[in-house]
Amino acid sequence: MMMTENEIVESLKESFGDKILEIESPRERRIFSRIKQEDLKKVVAFIRDDLQITHLSTITASDLGDEIELIYHFVYEGAIVLSLVTEVPMDEPKIPTIVDIIPGSQLYEREVYEMMGVVFEGHPNLEPLLLPEDWPKGVYPLRKEYDLEKLRELNKDDTA
Amino acid sequence: MTPRKDTVGRKTTSIPVGPQHPALKEPESFTFEIDGETIVDVIPRLGYVHRGIEKAMESRTYIQNLYLAERICGICSHSHTTCYAQGVEELLDVKIPDRANFIRVIIAELERIHSHMLWLGVAAHEIGFDTLFMHSWLDRELVMDLLELISGNRVNYAMNTIGGVRRNISDDGGQKVKDSLADVEERMKHYVEVIKTDQSIRQRTKNIGPLNCTPAADLCAAGPTLRASGIARDVRKDDPYAAYGEIPFDVISYDGCDLFSRTLVRCEEILEAIKITDYAIDNLPEGAIRVRAARKVPEGRVVSRLEAPRGELIHYCKSNGTDTPERYKVRAPTLANVLALGNMLIGGNVADIPIVLAGIDPCFSCMDRMAFVDTKSDKRWTWTQEDLQRYALKC
Amino acid sequence: MLDTVVIPLVMFLIFPGVAFLLAMAFFLEWIDRKTVARIQRRYGPLHTGPSGILQPFADFLKLLQKEDIIPTGVDKKVFILAPILISALPLTALFLIPFAGPSALVWFEGDLFLIMFIFTLIVLVVFLAGYCTTSRFSVIGSSRAALQMLGYEIPMGLAMIGPALLAGSLSISGIGQWQMDNGIWTVLLQPLGFAILVTCMLAELEFVPFDIPEAETEIVGGWRTEYGGRKLALLKLGHDLELVLASALITALYLGGAQQIWIIPSIFVFLAKMLLVTLLFSLLRAVFARMSIAQMLSGMWKYMVPLAIIQILLIQLGIGG
Repeated sequence: MMMTENEIVESLKESFGDKILEIESPRERRIFSRIKQEDLKKVVAFIRDDLQITHLSTITASDLGDEIELIYHFVYEGAIVLSLVTEVPMDEPKIPTIVDIIPGSQLYEREVYEMMGVVFEGHPNLEPLLLPEDWPKGVYPLRKEYDLEKLRELNKDDTA
Repeated sequence: MTPRKDTVGRKTTSIPVGPQHPALKEPESFTFEIDGETIVDVIPRLGYVHRGIEKAMESRTYIQNLYLAERICGICSHSHTTCYAQGVEELLDVKIPDRANFIRVIIAELERIHSHMLWLGVAAHEIGFDTLFMHSWLDRELVMDLLELISGNRVNYAMNTIGGVRRNISDDGGQKVKDSLADVEERMKHYVEVIKTDQSIRQRTKNIGPLNCTPAADLCAAGPTLRASGIARDVRKDDPYAAYGEIPFDVISYDGCDLFSRTLVRCEEILEAIKITDYAIDNLPEGAIRVRAARKVPEGRVVSRLEAPRGELIHYCKSNGTDTPERYKVRAPTLANVLALGNMLIGGNVADIPIVLAGIDPCFSCMDRMAFVDTKSDKRWTWTQEDLQRYALKC
Repeated sequence: MLDTVVIPLVMFLIFPGVAFLLAMAFFLEWIDRKTVARIQRRYGPLHTGPSGILQPFADFLKLLQKEDIIPTGVDKKVFILAPILISALPLTALFLIPFAGPSALVWFEGDLFLIMFIFTLIVLVVFLAGYCTTSRFSVIGSSRAALQMLGYEIPMGLAMIGPALLAGSLSISGIGQWQMDNGIWTVLLQPLGFAILVTCMLAELEFVPFDIPEAETEIVGGWRTEYGGRKLALLKLGHDLELVLASALITALYLGGAQQIWIIPSIFVFLAKMLLVTLLFSLLRAVFARMSIAQMLSGMWKYMVPLAIIQILLIQLGIGG
């Protein structure tokens, strides 16, 4: 039987209580829920095993200044998008991997690692995926500190 | 990806497929570890067509970004703009007219038809069946002509705008579309018949590139690849957008979990898409095709999804109250299917590489949208000297 | 002088010798390309000469002008020699075919074996041509060519033996003569042998469904990947000559050879038959998908070899013999 978005919200609240910092459903079939990064694995394991949400659409990372916001977009039965939002500090961007729970997250984690510099601890193969092999270390292009001008400058340097 | 256990430690040869290879219509590199004629490992190296679109979007206005989204992909350009536009409309809380929704559906389905026909031709070419390749591409021209008739463009249709669509479809135009699609339908039925009965096609596709239901779900595959593994997921049905909620249609799925099923899924989706287009033209509501939308988008975030020809497409937009987005994220369906590729290929035959690669209908410029490149010299050769020497000497 | 030098020289160099054979090679390539194109709803060659008939020749000339490259790391001797051999071998074999009249330019009892030997030799050269380079595409392509030969060589040999048993002669000219004398085509007596020979010739010519050694989408140019310019021109010419050889051999062995029908000279009858065989090849190559090497080998050994043996048995039992 298909759960509705409200049932998903309720069961998450019931199982995790205070650990769910925020949860809202802005419109039908969309849920945003904010959690702490240390609870991520537990929540992901729960939604996979108990709620049967197996499909991870992608992981979005965005630069909030002091923190990097990670959003895991899970999809329930192809219909309801449950976005788990969590933050990691910019000066120590580390988060446990969820590859062991959702194998399909491999490439998305690598992408975030390479573009935002978030280290996924325990990832089997955390290597650059998209950027050129001679890309300077420690430059994460999607961070706000690198604006287009700066990146163009960098690119000019290493092609010369 | 993980090699098979029984072959670890044996001496293997590696074959590079890409970045330049006739089996790939776009540059992307896959390195295959081969033991005899058997594949033991696949190492994908993506990123050869990165253009930094996500980064670029952060510094452009919402209207400019519409045209940038159009250029994420050459085949499914309408999918990307629709996904973008409906996301921004949701942030703006704008409801677009019904007629615009129907026109979006018509273009999306025409795009699906031509994309799948393109795939059929490429797949036929990969298994050396050039006759089917030429025939399906010639018939695809009928659909391309229709798109040109409606939008004035063959590839980047520029039909969408925030708040609706930019061009109307006249009654006369609608009739032309229906007439042409009747021809396409007839031809497609014939091709389905050929594919189902031709021995040499069956030989090359049956039980090739297996992807069972469980790994398909675990690896988060999407689109026709997933539907050919017996999982009937389709965003059009499950999470209706535009006018799909009002249009009756079936989700095609097969449980053969092989290339043969993937072929049939796509071919029958063409037939289904023709039905949807016919229905949409017959029931096209009267009224305006666009509403005015504000330039500044209030703070908020939105997840926008749709079913592109290749599978689930998801855009995420975070706005900050100005006329440029704070963060824009695109995940194209091909990236979702790359992991599944490893599953399909390992243990298979060298001869099956091209067709299995083609089997997920890869679209690399969609997938690689987000790094950035110098605007002046946008090509990079990532082979090191060592690679070249290895390539030249070691065999 | 005229009898001993000029006439033989003209025969070897012009008709039905080298010049004629080269013209045939380009003509048959054009026929093949045009037929396949029409089946695929394309136009095919269009602009060079009437209906593009000169296109293969123009392609050849263009390739001759191109820069001649020898990649580093190849075995130079083999790399240079292979294209020459690949075009020379089928040309040699073609002298054994009786184009005009009952006997060929060169013939002797047992030249059928020589032809079989040349067919094998061509594949051997193909193997070396690919193997002497350092490209892995070439190496895979050439080993596929050799593997493929293991599949079709035996049924092909057996299918050529059928007409010889029938005519009681091991010479191609002799087999042609027998058919003319008895006024019957071998294909009517041994249809199975004919079908097997056509199939094996498709494999020898590397036509779909047996274009495995040069499968473009898998291994780029196959064993030819590293060749360019003059060498590629010779390789292509060699392939065209092989096409002439295959269709001429099938005509001579199975389709009654160069008989004279009414007042039409025998050479035209022979050419018409060759054309039919080429059309058959083109048709077959347009309607199949490529097989994989394993499928091809098992198909050959499971079906073609037993069928070829059955054909020989039938002849021995007096059916079709």
